[in-house]
Amino acid sequence: MATERFIQRHSLQTRITHDVFVIACIWLMISGLFVFIPPLAAAVPEVARFMRITHRIVGCVFIITPIISAVASPGGVKRFFAKYFTKWTPEDVEFVKKFVPYMLMPKKTHMPDQDEVKSGQRFADGMLMLCAVAMAISGVILWLGISVFHVSAGVLAVQRFIHDLFFLILVIFTIAHIFLGAGIFEPYRPGHMIGLMFGNGQIDESDALYHWGFWARKEIEEGKNIVVKEVPDKK
Amino acid sequence: MTEQAILFDSSRCSGCKACQVACKTWNSLPSPLEKNSQEWNGSLQCPPDLGSNTRLIITFNEGDNGKKYGVNWAFGRRSCMHCTNAACVNVCPSGCLYHDEYGMVTYDAEKCIGCQYCRSACPFDVPRHKGSDDILGGSVVINKCTGCPDRVAHGRKPACVTTCQPGALDFGDRDDMIAIAEERVALLHKKGFDKARVYGKDEMDGCHVIYVLKYGIEQYELPENPKIMGSVNASSKVMKPLTALGFVAVIAGLAVCYISGIGYHRDTMRYDEKKHDVIDVDTGEVIKHIDKEAGER
Repeated sequence: MATERFIQRHSLQTRITHDVFVIACIWLMISGLFVFIPPLAAAVPEVARFMRITHRIVGCVFIITPIISAVASPGGVKRFFAKYFTKWTPEDVEFVKKFVPYMLMPKKTHMPDQDEVKSGQRFADGMLMLCAVAMAISGVILWLGISVFHVSAGVLAVQRFIHDLFFLILVIFTIAHIFLGAGIFEPYRPGHMIGLMFGNGQIDESDALYHWGFWARKEIEEGKNIVVKEVPDKK
Repeated sequence: MTEQAILFDSSRCSGCKACQVACKTWNSLPSPLEKNSQEWNGSLQCPPDLGSNTRLIITFNEGDNGKKYGVNWAFGRRSCMHCTNAACVNVCPSGCLYHDEYGMVTYDAEKCIGCQYCRSACPFDVPRHKGSDDILGGSVVINKCTGCPDRVAHGRKPACVTTCQPGALDFGDRDDMIAIAEERVALLHKKGFDKARVYGKDEMDGCHVIYVLKYGIEQYELPENPKIMGSVNASSKVMKPLTALGFVAVIAGLAVCYISGIGYHRDTMRYDEKKHDVIDVDTGEVIKHIDKEAGER
């Protein structure tokens, strides 16, 4: 039996937080469509009413999950922000410049090494986080503004616009996130990218070197998060 | 069917509130029965605003008449204006709100999903909802003036109109109501009520409640130039098509990317952390050497 090295990229807490958040997000998108697309609600008003109730309950899960996770691991929050709000290197800039050519010609475009979070990933994930925050705040105002505080019609109309606007952005970045993160895009498939968040959180050495070269080499040199596994011999 | 309208002549209204009572009675809208359940606000206007069980109120306003004695005591009518360009109908996500054959804005409560977008869109702040204190919102259902379509369908006038003892309310063909209103305003002008005017004729592309305002509009809880808020139009006319377009564009773009990625293959790599070499596992070839002394990572 040969051995293969894996790097533990995401902790159990990170994966649980991400996965609960994903399920909540998908449910919110589906239930939100019943308000966003009139014919849908008109066709099945009972379902639409149920969806609206669940939209509020699941909205709480959507908001509370990352808060609980942050409280449970303040150090993780610090590391998270350090990864995302970091100075851009020349390789980061090169990555962004080459991103579209890479997506269209992945067999011919060579991407530069990256740190733990790719520059494009920092931008895309940042947009997802911004959308999540904007939708959470506007959603809470839309909800409590008609049930507890009775805010003015103007405030509700503006919040609704914000909710719709960030829904649009969220849809675009979520689809792209799933396309890459779930390995639908073939160059992102070999390393079982989906397992990073929905599996054991590990990535094999080869794919870690391909996607996040700087980070992978540093991890291997430090050896702290390396998992060695026996794998069948290649024929 | 010709368009119908309710006419409210504030110069004939005596503020008796019989219309409020008739509305509640016909539409089975209870009022609180507990003693002092309505907070005293120093006005005869009671309740002070529309509510989850109140579709119509008469407003009371005392304005300065510029004389030593007396006031301009204005009685207004606050209820649905039944707009032609109705923001509530435009914004309703479930098709609950719609125009009936007479042009009145009515609704199918069975289709209401309780989002209350209609309230936030209405320039007159009219729609109210039963169960709006339900924090989960499952029992929230719209409640606003419908123009009594059940009565009108049987040749009767809306309940508020039928009961109006001083003849301040009328109901009929919209053009006829406008003609009566304009005639009345002309008479009021002759009598010295300079600010008297017709309201609802052109507002929101024509309302189906026509007002004769005896005094200035500022005494009637009515907006001077009611308009659908920009954000309402932006949401329904811009954001939704834009989201659909964005969705299709992203899917199409990613489909192209998907096709371009088919058949992609890369060799397995490993990293020799002692020599700082990235090695192709299959060929044993050093793909890249990391020159640590030169500061490479």
